[in-house]
Amino acid sequence: MVQTQAAMEAYNAYWVNSPLPAADVLWMVAILIVALVALWQARTFVSQF
Amino acid sequence: MDLKALKKQEHQKRVKYGYMWAFFCAVLWGMWYIPGTTVWVLNPFDEMYGEIAAGSGDGMALVIVAVLITAFNALTVILALTVWNGVLGKFGEMKRTVKEFHPCSKWFFLASIFGGPMAILGSFIAMGFVGGAFAAVAALMYPVIGSILAQKWYGEKISKRAYLGIAFIIAGGITIFGGGLLTELGSGNVAWIGYLGGLMAAAGWGIEGAIAGKGLDIAEPDVGLTLRFLGENIIWWIIIVPILAIIGFPMFKYAFMAFEPLTLLVLVFAGITFGFCYVTWYKSFPLIGVGRGQGIGNLYGLFAVIFIFLFFGDVPSWTILLGGALCLGGSSIMFSEDTGEMESLRGD
Repeated sequence: MVQTQAAMEAYNAYWVNSPLPAADVLWMVAILIVALVALWQARTFVSQF
Repeated sequence: MDLKALKKQEHQKRVKYGYMWAFFCAVLWGMWYIPGTTVWVLNPFDEMYGEIAAGSGDGMALVIVAVLITAFNALTVILALTVWNGVLGKFGEMKRTVKEFHPCSKWFFLASIFGGPMAILGSFIAMGFVGGAFAAVAALMYPVIGSILAQKWYGEKISKRAYLGIAFIIAGGITIFGGGLLTELGSGNVAWIGYLGGLMAAAGWGIEGAIAGKGLDIAEPDVGLTLRFLGENIIWWIIIVPILAIIGFPMFKYAFMAFEPLTLLVLVFAGITFGFCYVTWYKSFPLIGVGRGQGIGNLYGLFAVIFIFLFFGDVPSWTILLGGALCLGGSSIMFSEDTGEMESLRGD
């Protein structure tokens, strides 16, 4: 199912008031960074215990 | 360095890691609200909501759409956990744990019943029939149930200081969502099923934590959590979704429509945040105990507000700032506890 214009408008409206630039992409970048740090810490944890 | 000092150093390191995992859980749980909120306006969920609401009302539509979103969330969590276990080289351990059903994996399948249909569905019922703020406050109560159950069931020790920290964090969470809660409860026509949903959320997550604590005595948290989500996927996709389809709701029609690039992308990010938050939650339990792990994990309310402000631009009110200060106070009380208090997490 392709997104309707109404659905895309509602989705894009979420990011309009964000104080951050390109918030529609930045949230994914932020999640990836935190997830990668968690994974790296998990690797460190495995090697220490 | 003598043996005693080495033991103490090792113990301090374990406690530090325990708090770090619980903190990761809170951050990732807070981040989950970004994909968890935006996915609702995307198709097919938007059209599904409209179709069901037209026939069965808004409350019922919210719960039924939530079931499908939660089922997809459980599916993408399994994908994220496959990556997590692959990077950590835990597939061999997973095979061993699955085979040991009676002493080991039964606990995680049991945890999936309480955490999945009971807690998550209860939370959505509370959201649909009372409101989002009530659902959030109800869910914040889960460490009370989790820590009491862990103490009564297998004698988990929890200090007065840790209880005080948990109480501060819960009070902070209530203050954060307090304004919305009063508005929702003041509207007057709240259905009893909404309160039942709130109780299901708090009891479900609390019981899940205590059960997981028991299972984690003999299993790895990374593997145990993956089995817990395997159980949740079976519950949603083999039992609940087909039952709802038989009753007459258009479950499979819209499930097949979900394979759209933007919807899938948002669901994958929901899976990463939810999966990684849950696995770090489980990892904290054997290190600092169920009560402390759940207490620090409760900081998710504060992080959700921070991320919603950063990405959606919703400016927090003064009650949120006050609640945030209480949350920070509570976590400071817990972080600053002498690690010697936690030398043994069980009994005396």
